[in-house]
Amino acid sequence: MNVAVFRSMAPVFPKMANPVPSACCVVLAAVVVVYAQRHSQLESHTQYERVGADVTMKCGSMDWDAAVTWTANGTDIDESHLNGSYLVLKNVDLSQSGQYSCYEGSSWHLKYQTNLRVGMPPKEPVLMCRSNNYPKGFYCSWHLPTPTYIPNSFNISVIHGTKDMVCEKDAVPKNRCHIRYLQLFSTVKYKVTLTVTNPLGKNFTTLTFDEFAIVKPDPPESVVAKPVPNNPRRLEVSWQNPSSWPDPESFPLKFFLRYRPLILDQWQHVELSDGTSHTITDAYAGKEYIIQVAAKDNDIGTWSDWSVAVHATPWTEEPKHLTTEAQITETTSASTSSFMAPPTTKICDKGAVVGSGAMAVCWTAGLVVAAYSVLFI
Amino acid sequence: MAAAESPSAALRRRDLCSRGIRLAGKMRADVVDLLDAYVEQQGLDASASVAAVEGVPLAAVERWDEQTGTQRLLENLAAYRAFRALLAQMLEEQREQLGEADAGLGRALAAVLLQVSAFAYHLEELLRLESRGVPGEEGDEEEEDGPPPPPRLSLFEQKLRGLGVLRELAQWAVRSVRDLRQLAKPSPATGAAPGLAESP
Repeated sequence: MNVAVFRSMAPVFPKMANPVPSACCVVLAAVVVVYAQRHSQLESHTQYERVGADVTMKCGSMDWDAAVTWTANGTDIDESHLNGSYLVLKNVDLSQSGQYSCYEGSSWHLKYQTNLRVGMPPKEPVLMCRSNNYPKGFYCSWHLPTPTYIPNSFNISVIHGTKDMVCEKDAVPKNRCHIRYLQLFSTVKYKVTLTVTNPLGKNFTTLTFDEFAIVKPDPPESVVAKPVPNNPRRLEVSWQNPSSWPDPESFPLKFFLRYRPLILDQWQHVELSDGTSHTITDAYAGKEYIIQVAAKDNDIGTWSDWSVAVHATPWTEEPKHLTTEAQITETTSASTSSFMAPPTTKICDKGAVVGSGAMAVCWTAGLVVAAYSVLFI
Repeated sequence: MAAAESPSAALRRRDLCSRGIRLAGKMRADVVDLLDAYVEQQGLDASASVAAVEGVPLAAVERWDEQTGTQRLLENLAAYRAFRALLAQMLEEQREQLGEADAGLGRALAAVLLQVSAFAYHLEELLRLESRGVPGEEGDEEEEDGPPPPPRLSLFEQKLRGLGVLRELAQWAVRSVRDLRQLAKPSPATGAAPGLAESP
């Protein structure tokens, strides 16, 4: 195609143009076409090998004694790795994953290409099943304890008694599926088997459980803790049922509240069988507290994880203005020649006293204060 | 068209449901304790699977949330009447097998039997409140050509059946709490409990 483009452009150039650049373009285009043709004939291989294995690659149909060049990700491989035309990689590690190509010695004709993926067979997967939305259903999630570095596929089967159940894969996250309960209150156990397979091997794990054992709500939401005005030892805590719990009226939750001052390690605990609020009445005055709540179905299952922690400090009285010697001292040391009564000294406040008699008392007190201030200058 | 429930009937129903929930909750706790003691003293494996035994009412139910109130009460009543007979039989077998050697287990069985009987009576009260006829118990009427008595079980079979009975009873106790909570809910349309205000 490129050759055609160049040929059509040829008449555009003036007759006086240098013929050398044109010839080079034609040759370059020819090389590109041939390269594309030759590469399009090769199949794409992917080869999976275990870490630590010895790998021998054959250069397509080339004889053992043929002269070849191997490259890894475009970089020539040293001849020390060759056994005739075979490439030998001993004790491969993860860094040796990549594209390996073999070229015929003289023509540089690509004879073989493969994508080497070094990895490991899967270890026994970790499987967990839980019902956080009882009685609707439950979900199972899984992961591998160590990476394999190559693609894995997972297959999950769920059996209840003799009945196979379908675990519908979640779009997000990918390693999770969910099941709707078809029956409730069954004593028959559920058996969940997860099989993981990759090109280097397979492994599986099985969980067996009954309906009640896996019920575990999500933590309570929107936990709020507030001081109670005029109560230095109280904190009001409120929260909401987890939004994933579908029917708290028919399947009520009970709650566990824990709290401690930040300066101590010991938690206080309170179990609450109903309601979504509680007042702590034994808080240390003035100390910041950390508070968390957990939830559990009233009758079955296990406690949720702890909620997000909230912090609160009980109400404290605002410090009143002092009329002590210390305050008078402070005022006089800061003042110049003129004396000013401290602002909290309201004895001369005309709004606070009534009558001429009170005014006389007011002025007398002011003189006493003035005398005091003189003593401490 | 269903008639609305009178306020006093609604109060009585809620009261009966609340007490029933407490009864079922206590019963479940005692059955779970009894189950642990039974497994240990009978030398059984707690995780052993027990096939469904004839005559033991299964708590498992499909479409539980779609059941009417009447269905819930009737199924509960039938179950607890059956458990009453099964527990009485277990108690008898226990006395035959062990005599006084295991009085503690016998006492625990008797206590649970009492609670089961009380709960069955409670359910009958709820049914009467709903003006539903309380169904007669099976075997009340003599039948000339009744089914032959089941063959006597071996000792080990008796123990396994006992395990199955207690396990199902524990499940029923949880189900009963849930059923009564549903019954206690006022219906938004008629003010009656959901499913109870329908025609028989």
